[in-house]
Amino acid sequence: MKVLFVCSGGMSSAIVVKALKTEAKKHGHEMEVHAIGTSEVEQEMQKGWDVCMVAPQIKHRFNQVKVHADEAGVPCGAIPAQAYTPLGGPLLYKTLNELIK
Amino acid sequence: MSKFVDFMENKLSAPMARLSEQRHLLAVRDGVISALPFIIVGSFFLIFAFPPLPKDWAITQWATEHAAEILIPYRMTMFIMSLYIAFGIGYNLAKSYKVDPLSGAQIAVAALLLTLTPTALDELGFVLPMQYLGGHGLFVTIIVSILAVEIFRVCKQKQITIKLPEQVPSSVSRSFEALIPVAIVIILMSTITVVMGVNLHHVVDKLVAPLVTAGDSLFGVLVPVFLITFFWSFGIHGVSVVGSIARPLWEVYLVNNSQAVADGASTIPHIAPETFYQWFIWIGGSGATLGLVIAMLLFARSKYIKNLGRATIVPSLFNINEPVIFGAPIVLNPLLIIPFIITPIVTAIIAYFATSIGLVSPTYIMPPWTLPAPIGAYLSTGGDWRAVVLVLINITISVTIYMPFLKLYDKKMIAMEQGEE
Repeated sequence: MKVLFVCSGGMSSAIVVKALKTEAKKHGHEMEVHAIGTSEVEQEMQKGWDVCMVAPQIKHRFNQVKVHADEAGVPCGAIPAQAYTPLGGPLLYKTLNELIK
Repeated sequence: MSKFVDFMENKLSAPMARLSEQRHLLAVRDGVISALPFIIVGSFFLIFAFPPLPKDWAITQWATEHAAEILIPYRMTMFIMSLYIAFGIGYNLAKSYKVDPLSGAQIAVAALLLTLTPTALDELGFVLPMQYLGGHGLFVTIIVSILAVEIFRVCKQKQITIKLPEQVPSSVSRSFEALIPVAIVIILMSTITVVMGVNLHHVVDKLVAPLVTAGDSLFGVLVPVFLITFFWSFGIHGVSVVGSIARPLWEVYLVNNSQAVADGASTIPHIAPETFYQWFIWIGGSGATLGLVIAMLLFARSKYIKNLGRATIVPSLFNINEPVIFGAPIVLNPLLIIPFIITPIVTAIIAYFATSIGLVSPTYIMPPWTLPAPIGAYLSTGGDWRAVVLVLINITISVTIYMPFLKLYDKKMIAMEQGEE
């Protein structure tokens, strides 16, 4: 599965990327997760992602991201604040699975 | 309490955050950010020209003798940053209107260049007064770039363009489409600058002078410092919201400071470029959270906080603190919001006075923001070891302010963990 994370500059979500990958591995899934900043959304969205998740600190830009995700037909959801930490893997994984259901 | 939080979030922080997403503000923000690599790399040539080494060393003497040559890359990048920013604003604003971004960028550059009057010098031919393309020119740049792109997109939307038959290749027809708006912009700007003889830079400099003074005062520093942690308290990226509005001013301070150093001036004019906030206040990220993480490692007894401290210390050293802000969490957690807001205000006041009475050199070089604070502060001040001392003092202070609140919170977490077992 290919997961796209969007945050402000693509820095902080890189840390959360690891948490999601580790959690997915526990469940026996290999995941490709990539973190980008909001300025790259339009270009990146076209590259065939299965799901897009938006970091909580840019929730005021969620709709901007969602427009591009809808155009590309990629399911798009917000990452809950409690999941946006190196220890937030389980909740992140759960949110992801609900998104692609 | 939760009603109060709801009110603050829905009526105050969320609308303000959305305001920062306004089209023109967004274009200015992205335009300024697009120039940062040139500002960062260009500023480092100031260190090469004025290395923080003993004056009697051969290399220092060599650098001083050749300062003018060493500074040429700086002069062509950071020194004329407004030229890069005009391109960036024009590009991003045109893109947001879904009109050709490259044409938008070029029209913005033309509008900026037409605020200048080239002078003919005998041996050189025509030369441009470069100083207007630097920090001083930034406000004019913002105004004329927006104006030019607005003219361009109105022409486009109202179909005031020259249309070519469909068989013509799109790159050709695109350049023809821009003909009329380009003509309007060039005639308008030439009328102002050449026919009326108005130097827009002088006019705008006078208009923004009070703002430039205010933003560099202690109050002008404390307002953004407070607002940034205020936004983060609701989980909104504070720097990205407040920076949208304040960053142009911060870059003006930075470029003016670097220019003073490059020109060999005895005093550096401004206290508060973005680098001042970055290295002396946002140590470990907004809210000076490196202090909180150190306090976690030193004092936490609960499993969760201990683990969080270990997991977040490395990103914190590189000023990435979302894991702490959402992990602790600080967001919507009054116990940690209090020190999160107080700490940077205290460290800002200390850093402001230390800089204004000359205990620490003002910052004028922009190292990448992901460097650990002591290194960043050292480089940013052109190699002032006292800046490192100030950073260490501010870290100690932030640990001290966070400590009692963290201990209280830690107790709560221990109680919760015991309840679970």
